[in-house]
Amino acid sequence: MSMQEWVALALLIAGCFFYLAGTIGLLRFGDVHSRLHALTKADNLGLMLVCAGLAVLAADWRTSALLVLIWLLGLLAATVSAHLIARHARRDGK
Amino acid sequence: MLSSHLIDLVLALGMVVLALQVVSERAVLRSIILFVVFGLVMALAWTRLKAPDLALAEAAIGAGVTGALMMMAWRRLLIINPREPADTPRGRSRVAIPVALLAAALVATIGLSALFIDPPTDTAGRIALDEMVDTGLGNPVTGVLLLFRNLDTLLEMAVLLIALLGARAISKPAHPNEAAVVETGTPLVGALLAILVPLSILISTHLLLAGTNEPGGAFQAGAVLAAGGVALVLTARLQPGDRPGVIAQVAVTAGLVAFIGIGVGVMAFGETLLVLPDTWAVYVIETAMMVSIGLTLVLLFAGAPALVGRRT
Repeated sequence: MSMQEWVALALLIAGCFFYLAGTIGLLRFGDVHSRLHALTKADNLGLMLVCAGLAVLAADWRTSALLVLIWLLGLLAATVSAHLIARHARRDGK
Repeated sequence: MLSSHLIDLVLALGMVVLALQVVSERAVLRSIILFVVFGLVMALAWTRLKAPDLALAEAAIGAGVTGALMMMAWRRLLIINPREPADTPRGRSRVAIPVALLAAALVATIGLSALFIDPPTDTAGRIALDEMVDTGLGNPVTGVLLLFRNLDTLLEMAVLLIALLGARAISKPAHPNEAAVVETGTPLVGALLAILVPLSILISTHLLLAGTNEPGGAFQAGAVLAAGGVALVLTARLQPGDRPGVIAQVAVTAGLVAFIGIGVGVMAFGETLLVLPDTWAVYVIETAMMVSIGLTLVLLFAGAPALVGRRT
């Protein structure tokens, strides 16, 4: 394996680790707010690492730019949905 | 090689397990969410089968729009009857197991007999691929949808319009605030819409234009356009209205009108019915179809014959 593939592999494994941590947090934590905290924070980082790994593997500016765009869209969706769910939960007094 | 087989195996098993859960889950909302997840896994499976057009359609229509429509249906069921949650009744029908066994036997028979058939060489797909060179289109899927089998596509557009008319005929128009589920008091929602709606227009235009040479096309583009509209309905920027204006009526029927207009119009020049003259015709029809599909899906989602801007 080339240097490039090793770097990509490390990034992808790190990304999967954060996804796993976020999912375990979602399943194990007690209330809505800490679950959201675990899920959105860890998943955003995981998505960034996976996108970075794929960008290294692609070694192409256009693909990398698209991957960055995907990550930003993921961030946007996660931020707003977490915010809305948390607001809703607080209003319901959970 | 082995690892790619492993991925396929995980996908196939995952789809079977998800499908079982979708039908056996009692709470309807969980069923709907599982159905959306199933659609996403299905999209991955189409990607693995090297069918990116189908993968895009499955993700945008199968998982996205259908999921949103079903969630809205669930919400309206709750509004109609708030005491009884819309869950499937306990216990299963007596015919469930025989029907499942029969279906499994049918699938197994077809699958096993397909294993022993020599792959045919002179298929319609082969002929279509050979003919693609003359069409000026790079994407064989668009070629089949718009040139070789365009009667099917035309009828699909008609089915979509009939679905909208049927929904309009049997359901009461939604209350202006019924479709909005997102509270609008937070500034983040406005920021999200300011990014999401222009982006949905941009992506659908890209999918439409790319459709001639790459994966994409009117159906996927229309579904992405509808996603932007659904976001506007959810946040009450667009509200269900009573009376469709001229623009809405033109937009909903545009795909069908353009398709039939060009398809019949060519007969004046001595061509056969629905033989499209050139790539410009494909572009015109696909654009009109995208607008119609997008608006039809949003109207179905809002459960109303028309949409109006928010009255403050």
